[in-house]
Amino acid sequence: MSDDTTPKDTRHSLHPLKKIEIIVRGEKEPFVKDLLDDSTVSGYTIHHNVTGRGEHGFHEGRLLFNDRDGLVMFFAVGQQEAIQTIVDGLTPLFEKSSGVMFVSDTHVVRLDKFLQEE
Amino acid sequence: MPIDRSVVRARIENAAEYVGPLWPLNTFNAANPLQGFEDQPFDRAVQKAGQLFGGRGYPGPQVFRQAWENGEIDADVLTRHLAEHGITERPEVLLGRMDADAAGHDATPADQPLDRVLTKWLSAFLDQGQAAWPMPNREDGFYAAWRTVAPYDGEIPGVDRPSDLPDTLVEAFEAVLESYPEARWEPIFVHHLTALPGWTGFIKWRSRRADTAWQEAHPITLTQYLAVRLTLADRMGSAIAPDRTEDLPTNGTDRPALPRIWLRAWEESYRTRLLDDLRQAPSSAPETDRPDAQLVFCIDTRSEVIRRHIEQQGPYETHGYAGFFGVPMQHQAYGTGERVKSCPPIVDPKHRVVERPVESHRAQADRYDWWAQLERAGTTLLATLKKNIAAAFGFVEGSGGFFGAAMAARTLLPSGLFRLAERLDERLPGPEAFCAPTVDRAPAIDADTEDGLPVGISNEAKVLYAEAAFRLMGWTDTFAPIVVFTGHGSQTPNNPYKASLDCGACAGNPGGPNARVLAAICNEDAVRAALRERGIDIPEDTVFLAGQHNTTTDEITLFVDDDNPPVAPKALGRLRRDLQSAQADAATERVRTLNTTVDEGRPAAAVRETERRAADWAETRPEWGLAGNAAFIVGPRELTRGLDLEGRCFLHSYDWTADEDGTALETIMTGPLVVGEWINTQYYFSTVDNAAYGSGSKVTQNVVGKLGVVQGNGGDLMSGLPLQSLKADDERVCHRPLRLLALIQAPTDRVEAILDRHAALAHLFDHEWMHLTVMDPAQDPAFVRYRPGGGWRPQPAAKASTATEVRASAGAP
Repeated sequence: MSDDTTPKDTRHSLHPLKKIEIIVRGEKEPFVKDLLDDSTVSGYTIHHNVTGRGEHGFHEGRLLFNDRDGLVMFFAVGQQEAIQTIVDGLTPLFEKSSGVMFVSDTHVVRLDKFLQEE
Repeated sequence: MPIDRSVVRARIENAAEYVGPLWPLNTFNAANPLQGFEDQPFDRAVQKAGQLFGGRGYPGPQVFRQAWENGEIDADVLTRHLAEHGITERPEVLLGRMDADAAGHDATPADQPLDRVLTKWLSAFLDQGQAAWPMPNREDGFYAAWRTVAPYDGEIPGVDRPSDLPDTLVEAFEAVLESYPEARWEPIFVHHLTALPGWTGFIKWRSRRADTAWQEAHPITLTQYLAVRLTLADRMGSAIAPDRTEDLPTNGTDRPALPRIWLRAWEESYRTRLLDDLRQAPSSAPETDRPDAQLVFCIDTRSEVIRRHIEQQGPYETHGYAGFFGVPMQHQAYGTGERVKSCPPIVDPKHRVVERPVESHRAQADRYDWWAQLERAGTTLLATLKKNIAAAFGFVEGSGGFFGAAMAARTLLPSGLFRLAERLDERLPGPEAFCAPTVDRAPAIDADTEDGLPVGISNEAKVLYAEAAFRLMGWTDTFAPIVVFTGHGSQTPNNPYKASLDCGACAGNPGGPNARVLAAICNEDAVRAALRERGIDIPEDTVFLAGQHNTTTDEITLFVDDDNPPVAPKALGRLRRDLQSAQADAATERVRTLNTTVDEGRPAAAVRETERRAADWAETRPEWGLAGNAAFIVGPRELTRGLDLEGRCFLHSYDWTADEDGTALETIMTGPLVVGEWINTQYYFSTVDNAAYGSGSKVTQNVVGKLGVVQGNGGDLMSGLPLQSLKADDERVCHRPLRLLALIQAPTDRVEAILDRHAALAHLFDHEWMHLTVMDPAQDPAFVRYRPGGGWRPQPAAKASTATEVRASAGAP
């Protein structure tokens, strides 16, 4: 008995895009959020209370009586131009405030989810 | 030249670091005015801030002279500190030199037409319900609203119609910044943001954290502020860019300045005396196995006085815990739609607690409603009559006699008014007599999740808050038959700074509601069962009550249903009597510091004097608030019991033996201690330069827009505390400006591990925004001092201690 389903039907094509990951102090969350809202990326993810060590020392995550001191991590995926705008907005910020950003190549299956409608 | 909006915004974000957020009056939050500089060492930060705000960073010579003459600075310590810098002159000579250096510092700033015009529009736009005739188009945002009315402002030249001004924010920035390279933008923004640090601080608060209805209805950001300011500066011919010499503050020099040396000597003198007192604290062994009652107070420095006097009344034990009792909530009082945050500035509310009448007191609630409705109708009618152009004249004619008499009574008979209000309260009890907080989570169908906050608290969260309270205080056994959670609030009429005297841990509100919530939680059987499983065994006969400490009169009100008391009436009566005696003793102690002529030998007279202050609408100093605060002690009460700490110490209960993994200490150090530093730095800077970082005399203040105060009829919004909250008179300060000394009883390695995990906290010590001394139970000598940058230094006992004689009282020396 032959199988009518060919491998072509189940394989999805991957579309190249850029991914940006941003880690900033909690108090900078509104700034980065505004920047991402104003950019042309279609969405983003926020991780609160991120823990880790940076140039200025260790930052512990969740605290019982302090919602301010933690680190916040954002990540967003979009086309090269959209990510570049975000990089342009963050570069001057990191001259004064601590934080990092990483841009890397990534791939998505459903490209339409990552392109903002004009 | 097209400019990149995201770059402008980032530059503004950087520039805004120099401006500390300013909370509105009704939620006055103590905050370091130099918060944006806390990533730098204190000495450098105050130097830079001085360049930007013109404010002094160290106490003035008059303050040092007072401390020196009162013996608060040890001669040996001062001589040693001076010698380390090669200074050998006598202190009196150096005081004279500091006097000469300080001369000319207080030059009055020149009138700036740009500031005048801008503050006029800021106060109109930001008005929060005070103006009878609000500015139009505010819903379009500050820049757009200002653009439509600017043509009517005769002080702005060359603007006849809105189209004479840039249409959008980006165009506004382009028009002004086109002749400047990007490298100059940030200094330009800093210059214009720090020109009015009060207003920009308020905008910073409102646009970033607040999410208030006002911000939603009338949006404003620092970007919009700068667009208006730069456009105005351009039109009015004011400088856009600061002089090159005023560019971003430089690191300055590290030349040791006299005030810096004196401050350190003063701080060391205070620390040495406090540590010696603690070393020689009187025996604190409990007299009984089980006290009659245990009372938990806020860590606030004012609690120390009343706690000491309660403990002297009999078998009572007291504890210190953050005044929001660990319940991160928003509170909605009965009969009002207003919801207020009731937890510290660094905590977000997670629950809404609504006061609702209990069924058994429905009749009382109905009676209250009837009168409240009548009062509201009267208030509305009065407001209408006062503001209606046609009615106003007739109203004044007709009602002048009545209001004149009322004014005379308020002015001449404040004590009488206090007693009248007390009697009225007895006849018509307020909502706390017939309401209960909605502690239970409402059924899903009724759940009010507006703002994302659920009404009531889930069972898991109840157990968490109850357990956190006892674990943080290190209190897991020995519960008295009565345990009282005691919030605090002040009583003061006609005082825009009331919130600054209420509980800072409750966002400038009275802490009674939080106390009631935690008491209700701890009385639940299910919560106790869960606590028992976790090793906190509360006996069946223990009843948790809630109360509120009136910090103006030292009266403690217990929120108890007297028709159906949850504890034996006899025990309750005894507790109330002892609290009254403690009130009289505490009031006597405090009244001595308040510049009064009250007979010190008569406690009743002292209480009456505090009651007068609580009712007098002309009283500029109802109480001292947290003036004098200098240390934050984390440890069991046994460490300090029996010592007179002069109302200068925050006291947080903690037992290092019951916190092996250090979680409780970590919570205390990253939460309450940080808030303590905010309070301390606000008192410090308000005292060392009241014009730059405080709010001047109350006598000449005016409330603007229901959000802040200005001096006279305009200008910058004043931040910080008024003179009357800090100084006893023109010459003498009551608040001694010392940086907070955190004193923790715990193993050094535990404290060190916490600092290692919390860079932001460690920076506060490394940069000397506060000092840290650890009382290590495993070391000898027990006290070790944290060295900025890491490491510890033993703190041996002084040669001559002052500990044996318990000082009489705090206050203005």
